[in-house]
Amino acid sequence: MSVAAEDRLVLARGVRLRFDPVRNCHVLLAPERVLFPCPTSVAILERLREPRTLSDLARELASEFDAPEEEIAQDVAALMRDLIAQHVVRVERRAQ
Amino acid sequence: MSTFARDPWTEPPIGLLAELTHRCPLACPYCSNPIDLVRRERELSTADWLCVLDQAAELGVLQLHLSGGEPTLRSDLEAIVAHARKLEIYSNLITAGVGVSERRLEALAQAGLDHVQLSVQDIDPEGCDRIGGYRDALARKIAFARAVRRLGLPLTLNAVVHRHNLDRLEGFIDLALELDADRLEVAHVQYYGWALVNRAALMPTRGQLERSVAIVEEARARFGDRLLIDFVVPDYYARHPKPCTSGWGRAVIVVAPDGRVLPCHAAHVIPGLVFANVKDKPLRWIWQESPAFQRFRGFAWMQEPCRSCPRREIDFGGCRCQAMQLLGDPEATDPACSLSPHHTRIMAMADAEAAASPPTFRYRRLEPASSC
Ligand code: SF4
Ligand code: SF4
Repeated sequence: MSVAAEDRLVLARGVRLRFDPVRNCHVLLAPERVLFPCPTSVAILERLREPRTLSDLARELASEFDAPEEEIAQDVAALMRDLIAQHVVRVERRAQ
Repeated sequence: MSTFARDPWTEPPIGLLAELTHRCPLACPYCSNPIDLVRRERELSTADWLCVLDQAAELGVLQLHLSGGEPTLRSDLEAIVAHARKLEIYSNLITAGVGVSERRLEALAQAGLDHVQLSVQDIDPEGCDRIGGYRDALARKIAFARAVRRLGLPLTLNAVVHRHNLDRLEGFIDLALELDADRLEVAHVQYYGWALVNRAALMPTRGQLERSVAIVEEARARFGDRLLIDFVVPDYYARHPKPCTSGWGRAVIVVAPDGRVLPCHAAHVIPGLVFANVKDKPLRWIWQESPAFQRFRGFAWMQEPCRSCPRREIDFGGCRCQAMQLLGDPEATDPACSLSPHHTRIMAMADAEAAASPPTFRYRRLEPASSC
């Protein structure tokens, strides 16, 4: 599935991101699954508790990490495709 | 991003399966509960369960599977869910969805329930009643599923499939889509507990299995972005065994209704294992040190062909309970593995059972069991 710059992305239903003090890392909890996201993914997933577009994400991360926005946009898009395929992130239905 | 514990046996447990009760309005002949069901009088109290959750959170448990039997028969389910939420443990309700009112469900949602998994025995109303041994089950289940979605809770449909309902697999997929489920679990029967007793009545043919694989593949290609489909193949026809419980005492803790703690819900079939009870021992000790949890950790207990097999770190030699049940030796290679010297015999047995006409079900009941 491809993601357009203005698609609104959000954590999928039933997916929760939290910090785990026992393992000392973030964990992503989903039905019958536990994922251990890397710090970069965490920075993005934290923002996806509320819907965001790819452009929002790229802009926010570019300023946070002081990096070129276009490069970040590409990396984020690739990660989003992966997370959408894993049903961890979903594209909000625009009709709603 | 990596799934799951990285280093075998050095990570904390991921999930706790809480068998809150063995009571259930249904009587599925493939129920994975033990034949020797725990009676209500012996069930843990609310305070016991809350204490188990406190200890589980400290150990690192991230997910709580509220199961049974039928967990909604416990009137303290809301309190248990609320406590899990307070501890930030992800809670998953595994239910048959009959006799649960929308108000009850709302209370559970308010308590912080994260996810609902609803079993559907068949999409044909008569088949559903016959398998579950319960009247008008399907209509109730569908009403329940709609209530789940009205409340905005995520929903998994769980379809346990076998020779009597496999020919309607497409219908299960249609139903999952119609009910706006997030996930569909198509699970071939695993032969433990009551399912083992009813194996000949349930065993699908190889043709049915192959068709189910093709149907799931097609559905994934067509609906994959709307519906996540998980598929569990039947052990006896597999090439390699499943990594049972992701390795013995490695990721999962099962607490039985009476408080005994097991590495797997079927582990009681292995003779000589003593399961400590949460009423007597701390959960941390049970997990880290109790002999039952240590019994099949690591690889030293393995026999050939597992001992020198490169897959041993993937599937851990398969299921100990299955090796016990089919070969009488809990250390043997799971005969579901094509490298097991007993595999051909097991496959032939499955083929023969699937080809014969099915015997009548022996339904799962709390009473001293009798043939129906
Ligand atoms: S498998 Fe059937 S009988 Fe067993 S707990 Fe689930 S609904 Fe009840
Ligand atoms: S021989 Fe043992 S370790 Fe190798 S694939 Fe079979 S069950 Fe797994």
